[in-house]
Amino acid sequence: MIEVRNVSRSFRSTKKAPGFAGAMQLLFKPEIQTHFALKDVSFNVEPGSFVGLIGANGAGKTTLLKILSGLIPPTEGSTRVLGYNPFERPLDFRRKIALVMGQKAQLWWDLPANDAFDLLHAIYDIPDKLYRERVQILSELLDVKQHLQTQIRRLSLGERMKMELIGAILHWPSVIFLDEPTIGLDVMAAAKLREFLKVFNQREKSTIILTSHNMDDIERLCSRVLILRAGELIYDGKPAGLLREGERRLKVRFSLVPDLEELSRITRLPLNQISVAMSERAEDPDLAPETGGVYFTLKQDQIVPVLQILMQHGTIIDMGIEEQSLESVIQRVFEGGIKP
Amino acid sequence: MNWRLAALKNGFKDYTAYRVEFLMEILGNAIVPAAIQWVLWYAIFKTDGATELAGMTYVQMLHYTLVSVLFNQVRGGDQDFELAEMIRTGQLSNYLIRPVGLIQFIYIRGVASKLLISALSLAIGIVLSVSVLSSEASPLRMIGAMLLALLGNVIHFQIGAVLSAMAFRWEDAYGLLMVKNMAVSILSGELLPLNLFPESMSWIWKSTPFYLYVFGPAQYALGEWTHLEFVRQLGVAFLWIFVLWVLIRFTWGLGIKKYVSLGG
Repeated sequence: MIEVRNVSRSFRSTKKAPGFAGAMQLLFKPEIQTHFALKDVSFNVEPGSFVGLIGANGAGKTTLLKILSGLIPPTEGSTRVLGYNPFERPLDFRRKIALVMGQKAQLWWDLPANDAFDLLHAIYDIPDKLYRERVQILSELLDVKQHLQTQIRRLSLGERMKMELIGAILHWPSVIFLDEPTIGLDVMAAAKLREFLKVFNQREKSTIILTSHNMDDIERLCSRVLILRAGELIYDGKPAGLLREGERRLKVRFSLVPDLEELSRITRLPLNQISVAMSERAEDPDLAPETGGVYFTLKQDQIVPVLQILMQHGTIIDMGIEEQSLESVIQRVFEGGIKP
Repeated sequence: MNWRLAALKNGFKDYTAYRVEFLMEILGNAIVPAAIQWVLWYAIFKTDGATELAGMTYVQMLHYTLVSVLFNQVRGGDQDFELAEMIRTGQLSNYLIRPVGLIQFIYIRGVASKLLISALSLAIGIVLSVSVLSSEASPLRMIGAMLLALLGNVIHFQIGAVLSAMAFRWEDAYGLLMVKNMAVSILSGELLPLNLFPESMSWIWKSTPFYLYVFGPAQYALGEWTHLEFVRQLGVAFLWIFVLWVLIRFTWGLGIKKYVSLGG
């Protein structure tokens, strides 16, 4: 269904130094820099799969979707989607795929969704009866039937996103690429969209590749996860495979900010099992380190001995044991703290 | 429904979504060049006392102004700017994944409003040809002239499409398209009849297809061109369309390989 073989992709861009001198340099002697978005990525996807593609910002997720949907070619390597080379973009291929980008509107801003759907109806040559049925089913499922006659630009972000999704799948594609479809949606709207995607995948056996920063999307929908870090595929497997059985996170807050290497030495734990706890305050956008807070990833039977050692070597203000959540594991994978 | 027809219908709805804006555009395109021409002819013929300019009398100049306003309405729009902007911002991706010819689709959606305007202009032109214009003008000539103006519309878009492909390489083609539009304003006959050019410089406008937008249709409508000349100019228009079609395929074929689909 989808084959990705040793795909790499680089982009060239001009670098602009700050100030007037930078502007002049850009005008007369631009400095070109090359950025590698994907590095030697390989995987296969079976028909009917629901695959989650995750990674931090700039990890290469959207680039990969753009390559798979035929918008850009890989710099190296090859891809096949439904037996086609995507970048050749044959008409048959375009009839069988859909791409939804959460940050890029595909419907026409000044027209109501119904007008846009009518055009898509003609573009994909959908039989009239089927088209009417699909609009009815999809708009009811996503709870936007009452907005079909409203100009797209007058809809809320969530309503617009649902309309985008309807427009993208009206032709019942075999492969759907979804790039952050729940971005900006409230909890209810995101849940509705997730439920819909799940049902669509199960009923229609469409292959769906989804990128999202929302781990709820991944946990609830995807049977398989691909994790990209700095353009490299570092994990390919079930979401549950990331959660090591029996592992707990011991969080300890010391009165003095400790040195991680010193903690590793006294507890005899490898450094990748010790990390600085990040602030969880909502008003802190930069996720600053929490003063004195340290995480230890431990087996159940290691907790008491490690605590005893720590109490002998410093003053502990607070401590607690946390369950491993997929979100926290993936966060640490992104940060390079653990290797999957 | 055929997708081309659906795109036309959709484009028309889009352009008429804001009625006042739509009407203001039509009025602006009519009033500005007409006012410029009228002021100029008044100054030359009435204030300065001239009786003829480049072989044309005051009345002939006014007739030219009247019909040129009609054909100027049909002249191509700004779809080329739209194309360049889509390449720059990555919005082109929305169209690349659809099973339709991208350039054709953008053109058809954009030309929808022009088709309605050309029908209205033709109706006005036919009325003018039997009431106000000279005896050489006729409804048949007006229909032929409108056909030539519509071919000019196609050519205008094609030139814009070729130039907008530069955005694949330079990221932005706005400046280039603006220069093209300035050249069109002068060399299409929109502001001045091209026979005001000195004979030694007429090769400039004759070597571009811009005169087919306004000046050419006006010449035929006013009876200045013979039927044979009109047929010859139709041939020239189709030749330009073919050459530009080849150029679009070439420039976009190369350009699309450089497309990076910016934006998330």
